[in-house]
Amino acid sequence: MSIVSTLSINIQKRIGRQRLRKFFLGSIPFLVLITVWHLNEVFDWLAPVFIPKVSEVWDALFILQEDCEGFSAAILLDQSCMMSTHILSSVGRVILAAIIGLPAGIALGIFAGMSRPISKVLEPIGVFANSISGIAWIPLAIVWFGVGWMTTLFIMLNTIFWLMFFNAMLGVRSIAKVYEQSVLTMGGNRWDVITNVYLPGAMPSIISGMRMSMGFGWRALIAAEMIGGDSGLGFMIFTSASEFKIEEVFLGVIIIALIFLATDRYFLMPLEKWTVHRWGLVWKPH
Amino acid sequence: MPAKLVVQNLTHHYPDEYTGESVHALEKINLTVEEGELVTVVGPSGCGKSTLLNILAGLLPYRDGLVSVDGVKIEGPGSDRGVVFQEHAILPWRSVAKNIGHGLELKGMPVQERETRVTDFIKLVGLQGFEDKYPHELSGGMKQRCAVARTLCADPVVMLMDEPFAAVDAQTRITLQEELNRIAIATKKTIIFITHAVDEAAFLGDRCFVFSARPGRLKAIVDINIAREKRIWSAMNVNKEFLRSRDEILRLVREEVNIAVEE
Repeated sequence: MSIVSTLSINIQKRIGRQRLRKFFLGSIPFLVLITVWHLNEVFDWLAPVFIPKVSEVWDALFILQEDCEGFSAAILLDQSCMMSTHILSSVGRVILAAIIGLPAGIALGIFAGMSRPISKVLEPIGVFANSISGIAWIPLAIVWFGVGWMTTLFIMLNTIFWLMFFNAMLGVRSIAKVYEQSVLTMGGNRWDVITNVYLPGAMPSIISGMRMSMGFGWRALIAAEMIGGDSGLGFMIFTSASEFKIEEVFLGVIIIALIFLATDRYFLMPLEKWTVHRWGLVWKPH
Repeated sequence: MPAKLVVQNLTHHYPDEYTGESVHALEKINLTVEEGELVTVVGPSGCGKSTLLNILAGLLPYRDGLVSVDGVKIEGPGSDRGVVFQEHAILPWRSVAKNIGHGLELKGMPVQERETRVTDFIKLVGLQGFEDKYPHELSGGMKQRCAVARTLCADPVVMLMDEPFAAVDAQTRITLQEELNRIAIATKKTIIFITHAVDEAAFLGDRCFVFSARPGRLKAIVDINIAREKRIWSAMNVNKEFLRSRDEILRLVREEVNIAVEE
């Protein structure tokens, strides 16, 4: 048996056929994209001013990080470590906004879902806030908070919170009444109903709400960083473009997408698998 | 025998969900259920059976009349009255064992003590080997067994069952009915069992309350004197008492259905 086939069997055993197949199918569009990109370089369809070489983009990753004085400087968001500082400040803002915005949105959404007065108070303002895209707040946020963390955080929270709120609220309202009744007739109180029925029962909506709000929030963040930020990937893309460093723009865009892909795959999808799939609340395609 | 559950002069109206018109559901209901008794309630659809059950469960507030368990007026849901709903009342996000132990968990019973009791009830309803399965992995009959065990395990004083076997297939229904009879012998629970199936009412009940068409009145009480141990479906078609009581219940219900149709 050749080394290649032994290796492939080993990989199959370790990762599992299904997952390997899924990975392969999912990577097809990316492989096509990279191939076309590379062909552009070989056949000179578009000038490097518009589309940089694949290798240039790869190199830009290290050039940006060149002056960095080591790991501790990178962690402390030192200006010399350009690449890591931009990545970490964007990711940091997302995590901070998620830690504040998601639980707050879920909690208020659940309360609004179970109580008519609360939903009557919060729904109109929610529709109002949702109708204004996150970006529209940027000029105002800059006036209020100046350029930097507060502005970007405000923009993100505005997006995350309301989307999460609406999804959690609708999730609670879609739960069959009988579950609540079955907890009440076994001596459960309101709080038991919230933790044992509303929260798990609204999980399909909560998870799709998380996906949506993280997706839209991440986009809003990039836009906010472009105009109202002093660091971050959006800021990097914007400044690089004005300096005609097209390879840095490409690099920034790719990193943005990769970070979101990783969040989805390693946080949101496992969460979905361990809750709503296991409980049979949503069905999986074959 | 002491009266466990008493309903006195219960009259109930509720507004229709869509038209808003007042619906007269129950009219001057008087009944008592004794300790350890299994009573069945039958009547044409819309006769207020479910309304009565919801009032007994404390899920529906009432004004006219008095409903009490052990002499205490019912003013809301409580763990003294367990309910088995028609379908889907086991929580999809809890495993079979966690569903069955839910009532004890809500009461704050320690894990170890709880587990022993849960194991007993899993055995009682024959769900061994399915403890860690989730409801969507169970068949309709198993789901309903789980629902019965879930209610029983919380150890209610009175068990209220709202057409619990209506949604399962005929074969499973017969099995579940025999199992419930076995459970009634084993636990000596006071059970109120609502159904629209006359056979079921005669097979399970010590007494059967027949309700009239809307507004629901207690039309008649049919006594069924068959020892619990003798209640097996294969013996029923030659059991004179069963046939007599079934035919009587059927006749009483038919009268009501005919009145409802003529209107």
